[in-house]
Amino acid sequence: MRTRSIGLSLFATAAIVVAACTGGGTPAPATPAPVTPAPVTPAPATPEPKVWKIGVVTDVGTLDDKNFNQFSWEGAQKGAAAIGGEATAIVTVASADYDKNVQSFVDQKFDIIVTIGFALADATAKAAKLNPTVQFIGVDQAPCLTGAGDPDPTFTDCSGDMATLLPNFQGLVFAEQEPGYLAGIAAASITTKKVIGAIGGAAFIPPVVRYIKGYINGAHSVDPTIQVKVAYVSDDLGKAFNDPAGGKAFATQFIQQNGVDVLFQVAGKTGNGVLAAACDANIYGVGVDVDQHESTPETAKCTVTSAEKKLSIAVEQAIMRVGDGSAKGGIIGNDAKNDGIGLSKYYEFESMFSSDAQAKIQAAFDGFKAGTTDPCAPANCTDPFE
Amino acid sequence: MTGPAGEPTNQPVPPAEEAEAVEAADGARAASALRRAWALVVVPLGAVILAMLVGSIVILASQVFIGVEIDPTLPLVAYWAMISGGLGSFNGIVETMVQATPLVLAGLAVGVGFKAGLFNIGAQGQFLMGALAAAYVGGQLRDQPALVAVSLAVAAGAFGGLVYGFIPGALKALTGAHEVVTTIMLNFVAISISSYFVSGPLRAPRSPFAQTLDVGNAELIVLFGRNGHVGIFFALLAVPIIWWLLWRAKLGFEIRTVGANPDAARFAGMRPRRLIALTMALCGMLAGLAGSGEILGRVGHLTAPYATNVGFDAITVALLGRANPVGILFSALLLGMMKAGAGQMQIQAGIPVEIVDVIQGLILLFLAAEIIVRRLFRIREARVGLEELATVTRSYGERSA
Repeated sequence: MRTRSIGLSLFATAAIVVAACTGGGTPAPATPAPVTPAPVTPAPATPEPKVWKIGVVTDVGTLDDKNFNQFSWEGAQKGAAAIGGEATAIVTVASADYDKNVQSFVDQKFDIIVTIGFALADATAKAAKLNPTVQFIGVDQAPCLTGAGDPDPTFTDCSGDMATLLPNFQGLVFAEQEPGYLAGIAAASITTKKVIGAIGGAAFIPPVVRYIKGYINGAHSVDPTIQVKVAYVSDDLGKAFNDPAGGKAFATQFIQQNGVDVLFQVAGKTGNGVLAAACDANIYGVGVDVDQHESTPETAKCTVTSAEKKLSIAVEQAIMRVGDGSAKGGIIGNDAKNDGIGLSKYYEFESMFSSDAQAKIQAAFDGFKAGTTDPCAPANCTDPFE
Repeated sequence: MTGPAGEPTNQPVPPAEEAEAVEAADGARAASALRRAWALVVVPLGAVILAMLVGSIVILASQVFIGVEIDPTLPLVAYWAMISGGLGSFNGIVETMVQATPLVLAGLAVGVGFKAGLFNIGAQGQFLMGALAAAYVGGQLRDQPALVAVSLAVAAGAFGGLVYGFIPGALKALTGAHEVVTTIMLNFVAISISSYFVSGPLRAPRSPFAQTLDVGNAELIVLFGRNGHVGIFFALLAVPIIWWLLWRAKLGFEIRTVGANPDAARFAGMRPRRLIALTMALCGMLAGLAGSGEILGRVGHLTAPYATNVGFDAITVALLGRANPVGILFSALLLGMMKAGAGQMQIQAGIPVEIVDVIQGLILLFLAAEIIVRRLFRIREARVGLEELATVTRSYGERSA
C-alpha cells in the first residue's frame, strides 16, 4: 500500500514538475504564435514586405496522406515560399466542419485560403462570396453557382458564371484526358499480349470517362491494333469509388475474362483494390490522380506509373498568381500547358520503358502543350460507351 | 445597540435560536449537498486535468519527432489557442454550442443506456440513421412551409434513430444477444445502409457527387451568431426532460431499477425485457435527433461517406458526465469547446488536430483508472462509485442478464 502510494506520488511529482516547466515561461500570447519573423525593432523607414498568410483546409483525413491533402499542402508551402508567406493547415475531421474550418482562417485574417477536394467546393464558394477581399483556391473544385453567386448543392441552377460572380475564387480542375493519354502510351509500350485494360469507377462521372477515353486514344496512337478492354465497376458510388475489396474482386474477374496484361485504375479507393488484383495476377498496374507508387505502397511492386494531376504545381501556381496580382477567378484548367498534369516516375520499372516509348510520351506531352495533339481523338471524351 | 438592545433580550431568544437552528440545518444540508456534488464531480474533473497534463507532455514530445526547435511553452500556447478559439469570442462561443449540441443528445443516448445497465456503443449508427431519415424527409419536403418541413424532418430523424435503437434492444430482450456486440455490428451496417441510399436511391439527381437533395425549407433557422441554429435549444431542452424522466417519472424509476438489479426489478413486477427494448429505442431516438440536428442545422444534406465521430465521442461525454444529464451537458460543452477551438489551435500553435483525440482518449483512460485520480488528488473513496463504469466492465466481463 505504502509503496504504491509513493510510486503514484512520484508520478504526481513528475507531472507537476513537467507542468511547472511548461508553465514557467511567458504567458501564452493571444496573437498567433511567432512562426513568422515578427517586426521586433520598429524600423519605420523600411516598410515590412507583406507576409502572406496562407491557410489550407484539408478534406477529411490526414495531412500526410500521400494523396490529395499532402500534395496540395506541399504546393501551398512552395507557393508561400515563392511569394513570401507562411502556410498553415487545418485538418478536417468531420464532414460537418468544412464551413467552420474555412471560417477559422477568415477570422484570423488570412490572405489566401486553399481548400482541398471537391467536397469543400460549396463551403469555399460561400466563404468567397461573403469575403470578397480574401483570395480562395479550391483544388479539384468546379462548384455549381446560381445566378446570385450562391452554391447550389442540388446542381439544378448552374447559370452563375464563377469568373464574374466570385472573382476571388480560383477553382482548380484538371484535363484528365491528357494524363490518361500518356498512361495509354505507357501501357501500350509494355504490353506483350497487345491487350490492355482500364477499370473506371462509374460511367456517369465525366472525369473518369475523360481519363479512360484519353487512355484508349493514347494506346491506339502507339498501335491501333491494341485491344483496350474497359469496364465500369458500378453506378453505386460507394461501390464505385470507396470499396477496395469489391474493386479487387471485380478486377480479378476482369483480368481472367479479358486476359489483359496492363490495367489502368480510375476508381479511387475501389481502384486500390484493382491494383491489388493486378499485383496478385502478376500483371502491371497504372495508378491514377497521384503518384500511387508512393501513395499506396502495398501495390508499389506492380504499379509501373500513374496518370497524375500535379496538385502541388497547380496549387503553387495559383498562389503565385495571387502574389503577383494576376489571379482571376473562375474555373482554372490545369493541363500540360502549365505542367499541371503528367505521368509519375517509373521507379524500378524505368528499364521497361524503351527510349522510344519515353520519347513518344514526351512527344505527346509536348503536343498537348503546343495544341497539336488532341487527347480526345479519335474516340471522344464524353461518351463512355462509344 | 445600547438602549433597545437590552430590552428584548428575554423575549426573542427562542425565535433566534430557532432561526439559527434552521439556518444550521440548512447550512448542513447545503454543505452535504455540496459535498455530494463535489464527490460526483471530483473524479471527472481530475481526469480532465490529468489528461491535459499528459497531453502537454505529448505536445512537447511531438516537437522532438517533428524535429523543430523545442518550445517549452507550446502546450500553453496550444491550450490557450484552443480555449480562446472556443470561448474567446461570441462566434467562438456559438461554435462551441453548435459543436456541443449533437454531443449532448448522443451523450444522453449513451447515458440513459448506462442507467438501465446497458452499454450503448451504437449511438454512431443511430446517429447516422437519424441523419439519413432527416435528410430524406427534409429533401422531399424542401419546398413545403418551413414549420411542416422542419417538424416532419426532425420527427423522421428521431424515428429513424428510434427504430435503429430498438433493434439491438429487441434482440437483447428476445434472444439475450449482448447489446455491446450487436450495437457495434449495427454501426457498420448503418454506414453501409446510408452509403447505399445516398449514392443510390436518394442521390440528388444532377449532383456529380454522392449526396442527398438539399433540405431547403427544412433547414433549422439560425437564431444567433453565424450558425447558432435552433437545434441548440432542443439539446438544452432534452437535458431537463431526460432528468425528469429518469428521476421523477415511473418509467425512469423502472429503468434505473432494471439497471441496478434486473432480478429485483422482475420480482417487483417490472418487465425488464420490455424495459430494455424500450430504453434502447429511447437511446436511439436521442441519437437520431442528434443526427437530424447535424443535417438540418449544419450540412443541409447527407453525403457518402459522411465523416463523423459523434457517436463515439458520446461515450466519452456520457462517462465524463457520469451518465447524469447535467453532467452530460457540461461534458458535451467541454468537448464542444475543444472541437470549436481545434482550428485556432492548429493555426496558432501548429499542433495537429489529433491532439484533441489524444486528450479525449486520456480523459477516458483516467476515468477508467479512477484509482490513479483518487491517489493523485488525495480523494477518499466515495460512497457513490462510478456505476456507469461498472456497466462498462460488466458488459465485457459478465454474461448478460
